Amino acid sequence: MSLIEIENVSKEYKSGTEIVAAVNNISLEIDRGQFITIMGESGSGKSTLLTMLGGLSVPTKGKVLIDDLNIYALPQNNLSDFRREYLGFVFQAFHLIPYLTVEENVMVPLAIGDLNRQQKREIVHATLDKVHLKNKSKRLINELSGGEQQRVAIARALINDPLIILADEPTGNLDSKTSEDIMDIFGFLVEEGKTILLVTHNKDYQAYANKNIFLKDGKLDGGN
Amino acid sequence: MKIYSIAFQSLRRRKAKTIFLIVGLFLSVASVVTLITVSENINKSVAINLDEFGANIIITPKSDQLMINYGGLSLGEVSFNNSQLSENDLQKINTIKNRKNLSIISPKLFETVNLKGKNVLIAGVRFSDELKLKKWWIINGRSPLSPNNLLVGSNSAEALHIKINDTLLIKEQRFVVSGILSNTGSQDDALIFMDILTARTLFHKPAKLSIIEMAALCYDCPIEDIVSQTASVLPTANVTPIKQNIESKMMAVHSFERFSLGISLVMLVTSFLIVFANVNASVTERTKEIGIFKSVGYRKSHILKIILTEVIAASLTAGLLGFIVGVSVAKLVLPFLSMHGLISFTYNFTTLPIAVLLSLFVGITACIYPAIKASRLDPTVAFRFI
Repeated sequence: MSLIEIENVSKEYKSGTEIVAAVNNISLEIDRGQFITIMGESGSGKSTLLTMLGGLSVPTKGKVLIDDLNIYALPQNNLSDFRREYLGFVFQAFHLIPYLTVEENVMVPLAIGDLNRQQKREIVHATLDKVHLKNKSKRLINELSGGEQQRVAIARALINDPLIILADEPTGNLDSKTSEDIMDIFGFLVEEGKTILLVTHNKDYQAYANKNIFLKDGKLDGGN
Repeated sequence: MKIYSIAFQSLRRRKAKTIFLIVGLFLSVASVVTLITVSENINKSVAINLDEFGANIIITPKSDQLMINYGGLSLGEVSFNNSQLSENDLQKINTIKNRKNLSIISPKLFETVNLKGKNVLIAGVRFSDELKLKKWWIINGRSPLSPNNLLVGSNSAEALHIKINDTLLIKEQRFVVSGILSNTGSQDDALIFMDILTARTLFHKPAKLSIIEMAALCYDCPIEDIVSQTASVLPTANVTPIKQNIESKMMAVHSFERFSLGISLVMLVTSFLIVFANVNASVTERTKEIGIFKSVGYRKSHILKIILTEVIAASLTAGLLGFIVGVSVAKLVLPFLSMHGLISFTYNFTTLPIAVLLSLFVGITACIYPAIKASRLDPTVAFRFI
């Protein structure tokens, strides 16, 4: 059984009097532990597909099943809980909370959990160790380089030990050396059993992936 | 880290916004506390001053006969029969439940005498009480200091050609005119005032009184209660409140209260708008942040908690600071608002919970809409910012 099943999913927007299909009748199956890249030109529907997979954008048509759960049939609160347990997001512009330290940013998803302070600390330090930032845990975000900020964002995505990491152009704002470091971290996470869906323009990253999905005008455009 | 820690860190590290939020609330709370404190103190002071400014209750003997008039008030048959009030009645008045509200009790004994061929009304008074009761009196000369000193009303002085330090012979006893009253436009202009004890001896009426004038402090008790309590201990007397006097006093007090209330409401509405605009702008500005919270699995209630915790913490701080500053400003301002002498400054601690609750009420009501808006933010909208 696949971890992710997308069945005839479409997402339509109203643009003036016109209806535009950002994603048009896509069906996909993704297995546990796979590294998937989603590629395509700007406006091809990559990010829209990712937000639908992340339970953040309700499809106009079709179903998204994750771990055999029809996520958009869940009540709002359960969908929020599902996101916390199953998914980790990494964004191009890092999107960390500027008034929190590295440690606090990574701890944000745990703030609504039941763990005690000590347990939270241990998990955060172990996760920061994975992204080689343990020594900068007390720093504020603006004291870090772009690459370090992205590693904090990855640590935050990993803190709840999710099955799936959704990454939208995570290296878009980074230089090539730092980008390579980030991709190495993703590679390591796949080895640990995480499923990664990576939206990217960079064709070099196809080499990291088990499967590359190409989108054009909201539709699947071949792939391997 | 808990949800409230996020709110506190936001307040701690976004100092400018926090200060702006607190100042918006603080200014209105401090203004309201100042107004309440000043208003309370001034009301009390004005009420006490007004209450002491002339009598508001007159006690006269009951009589079936035609009355003699004193300033538009009946005095009973003051000079012509034996049905008069007595010294004992003063002690009875001092037994009423609201005796603490009686600031001045001024007994009077009236008697007519013939002086320089003209009939004139002598009023035996306790000068210490009478001078407190009639603060508008302007005495040319000096206040009576000894039992044989007289104060003469302006009309009597003119009609009888009396001057300061003149000696008058009344019932074969010599009296010195220590002062002459400037024209008051009242019945006092036609009277000659002497010490009540001297009058009793002079007119052979050892314990008799013609009328009793009282100034009751009505700020925190209804005058009707004092009147009925006095009437119950003096069943043979007419106890009459001077309604016009009381109503004008209460009107003066209440008009200041209404003015303070009006200003307070304006301040609160202004503060509400400042906080509303501040939180609303903050929510819009934090759309991205809210998107992050949603993406990591925060529910609507979690987002609401963060925003409300911030506003409640800011409101509590503003309420507390507002109370301290408001009371201090009131203390500084009061001496400048004093009409006569010093206004005694008092503050009650009920203003503290009022200040804090007011701050919380304004803060929470102003942030409810923006907070709900934030919690309901469609993640895809937030995501567009991301």
